[in-house]
Amino acid sequence: MTFPPEPPAAELVGITKRFGTVLANDSVDLAIARGEIHAVVGENGAGKSTLMSVLFGLHRPDSGHVLRAGEPVRFRSPADAIAHGLGMVHQRFRLFPELTVAENVVIGAEPARGRLRRGVLDRAAARRRVEALSERYGLRVDPAARVGELPVGVRQRVEILKALHRGAEILILDEPTAVLTPGEAGRLFEVLRTVTATGASVVLVTHRLGEVLAAGDRVTVLRQGRVTGRFATAGTTADELVQAMIGRSLLSAAPARTERAPSAEYALEVRDLAVRDGDGVERLSGASFGVRAGEIVGIAGVAGSGQRELVDAVTGLRTGHSGAVRLLGADLGRATVRRRRELGIAYVPEDRHGRATAATMSVAENLLMGDHRDAGPRGRAGRLSKAVVRERARMLTERFSVRTASVDVPISALSGGNAQKTVLARELSRRTPVIVVEEPTQGVDVGAQEYIHALLAQARDRGQAVLLVSSELGELRALADRVLVMYGGRLVAEFPRGQASDEALGAAMTGGTA
Amino acid sequence: MRGAREARDLAGAALRSAARSPALPAIAGALVLTTIVMTLVGVDPAEAYPALIRGAVADGNLEYTIGAFVPTLGMALAFAIPFRTGEFNLGGDGQMALGAVAAAALALALPLPPGIAVVVPLAAAALTGALVAGVSAPLHTRLGIPAIVTTLLLSTPAVALASYLVRFPLAEPNTGIAETPVLPAAAHLPSIGDSGYVTVALPLILVLTLAWLYADTGTVLGYEIRATGANREFARYGGIDVDRLAIATLAGGGAFAGLVGGLIVLSPPYRLVDGALTSPGYTFTGVAAVLLAAGRPIGVPFTVALLTILQVGGQGMERDAGVPSQLTQVIQGLIIVIVAVTATMRHRPGRWRRLLPGRPAAPPVEAPDPPGGHVDTTRSGVSG
Repeated sequence: MTFPPEPPAAELVGITKRFGTVLANDSVDLAIARGEIHAVVGENGAGKSTLMSVLFGLHRPDSGHVLRAGEPVRFRSPADAIAHGLGMVHQRFRLFPELTVAENVVIGAEPARGRLRRGVLDRAAARRRVEALSERYGLRVDPAARVGELPVGVRQRVEILKALHRGAEILILDEPTAVLTPGEAGRLFEVLRTVTATGASVVLVTHRLGEVLAAGDRVTVLRQGRVTGRFATAGTTADELVQAMIGRSLLSAAPARTERAPSAEYALEVRDLAVRDGDGVERLSGASFGVRAGEIVGIAGVAGSGQRELVDAVTGLRTGHSGAVRLLGADLGRATVRRRRELGIAYVPEDRHGRATAATMSVAENLLMGDHRDAGPRGRAGRLSKAVVRERARMLTERFSVRTASVDVPISALSGGNAQKTVLARELSRRTPVIVVEEPTQGVDVGAQEYIHALLAQARDRGQAVLLVSSELGELRALADRVLVMYGGRLVAEFPRGQASDEALGAAMTGGTA
Repeated sequence: MRGAREARDLAGAALRSAARSPALPAIAGALVLTTIVMTLVGVDPAEAYPALIRGAVADGNLEYTIGAFVPTLGMALAFAIPFRTGEFNLGGDGQMALGAVAAAALALALPLPPGIAVVVPLAAAALTGALVAGVSAPLHTRLGIPAIVTTLLLSTPAVALASYLVRFPLAEPNTGIAETPVLPAAAHLPSIGDSGYVTVALPLILVLTLAWLYADTGTVLGYEIRATGANREFARYGGIDVDRLAIATLAGGGAFAGLVGGLIVLSPPYRLVDGALTSPGYTFTGVAAVLLAAGRPIGVPFTVALLTILQVGGQGMERDAGVPSQLTQVIQGLIIVIVAVTATMRHRPGRWRRLLPGRPAAPPVEAPDPPGGHVDTTRSGVSG
């Protein structure tokens, strides 16, 4: 690859940033050339986000400096960075759901009407601008649509348009594909190509190595705050990246399958399950399937195809469905969440912050949830013994190798991988007949992913019935004995192990025939 | 043995909590600012502060302070108990007033033997307060109207109803004064010491406070309440009936407010005087004390004590040093403003946060959510 004689679009030189005793970035250099897609990869806690925060003016480095097109710049805030042509698309979008696409895009740089009506938003001009932008970059969106009603992939396009509208020449995307389907991810990368074709640059923060190799031009790998590798994607393998990220190769691609066949009985059985939302729209219709003890059944599908409704009906978090959910042959009827947990359904939710943990509570208290009625000293119902709670937490964190300073720190102090291991420790240690798992490795680094997959395989080998909902097709292929595909609230296809190719799954997920 | 260890644990927790609490710097800051104000208006701080303290604790004033401490602590609990599940009870005035009416009506109507004559009106007062507050719970869990709105709005009619009942059906006949007759002697709270101001209400409320503190940390119910307050969806996921807890804690808070009403009526002057319950402002002093304790239950008795001393001492300061007692309201106001500003700054990034005490310097290494006023649409209802 030849580099243009001009200076890089942006350059970070010798960035060091310390938080208390933690060295988040240790003299990191990063140069982003004009017109390239530059991937920044690393495990959770490797310092990617800190580095991006420095580049975007959210943090000021302890030492080192930032160059923009060869000129030293000093960003005091994101507003400074935006003024210098940087734009950031955060993992969690910053949009107003009640406003339209056009209104969201022009926020911060709104077109106003003529002299007499200064300060009044010119909606027509806003629309025109958004139309022009989406035309130019091939980002199809309806400017008049209300953002809250759009699918996640489209909301992301709105975020990108917003950055471009503010004149971004360097676009930073933080884990952009974490919320997308494979198809949407593919379209995102096409869009990014259009953007770089105009001379703008893209910084892609991600942990999905496949994407990096497919879509990136160059890669910078971080580990423990330092740069451990710089690669041009052409001629680099995933294994080289993994080596640089975790300092060793992965042990094996998929946990070995023991040859014990699953039992014939269904541990979890769902019959004609249908769920309507508050407006009476059917979100899940006629779902029937079963999961045997010692089996992992995968659920694939575009987000919003009914997976959430299915899981909520099984775990009891949503009531008012029709059809039956049976656990070990017994109909659960209208059993409460608590009753279902007691009878033997464990659940690892997708939404770690919103549902699976309480950020401000300690690791020990997070590990306690669901078992808290049995954590008292013997014979004293209703009481809670701190000693018992702590001891239990110490045992679990050790057994599931959760790395934490102590079980008394708030769970928000843990990295994504360790927080997820905490959730798995809580749910798997219950040894329930059935475990429902959603996106177990979302936002989790490669090392922890490997470990989590091994845990699920272990649960299966122990004879637990595992229902695995995932948007990572590789994960489903590696773990699931069967993959069911959901589309538009229905189960539309079933693939036995070994026959679930990306193409076949992708077609079924988008409503095509397999 | 066990009790002693628990007491030590509790005291240790209190000290550790105080050291990290934002309350101390807020109080210090408020005192500095108040001193500046005093100097500007020509008051000698060296005279005013000792007069303030004397006014609260010396020369027999301690009784008044304790007399105000008891209802304020009760009203603080009335707010704090539902606050732990994330519900706001701002209707303490109405719950207290109707609780007082229930206590007075029962004490006047039923000639009961000593002992029971105190217990029954107090129980009725607590029950009435619980019912009044409990009304707000289904309005929240079924209709989605926040308790902060309904408790506050229901308070005014409740106070008005209490006022009507005191002025007409329960009024002392032929006097034209808006008060009930004096309650029978059997219904008077036994006093402690010589004056009538310190009664068994003090040990009662202290024991109840300790019970609450213990329940908060040492019981399954306390855990469920804290989990619900920390993350409602997490609690629901864990099988906790969050709606039932909302009802229970709102009713529990209301019971405390009602009880305070009953305690006031059964204390000197042993009658229900219209307006006497709500005019000292126990309800919102209690709310302020809980907010000042910043989410640490163990701090509540201390912040209540502080605010009570400021209020009672302010009147002494006015008498002794000729300093308007409004100055103590300045101190209180400043404390609350500083606490509120600190709490807001904690959620903002950058250099302001570094100035704040009580937070270890290491944020998570993967910076969590960068700032920005925009709404996070991925969390808001509509999914893909």
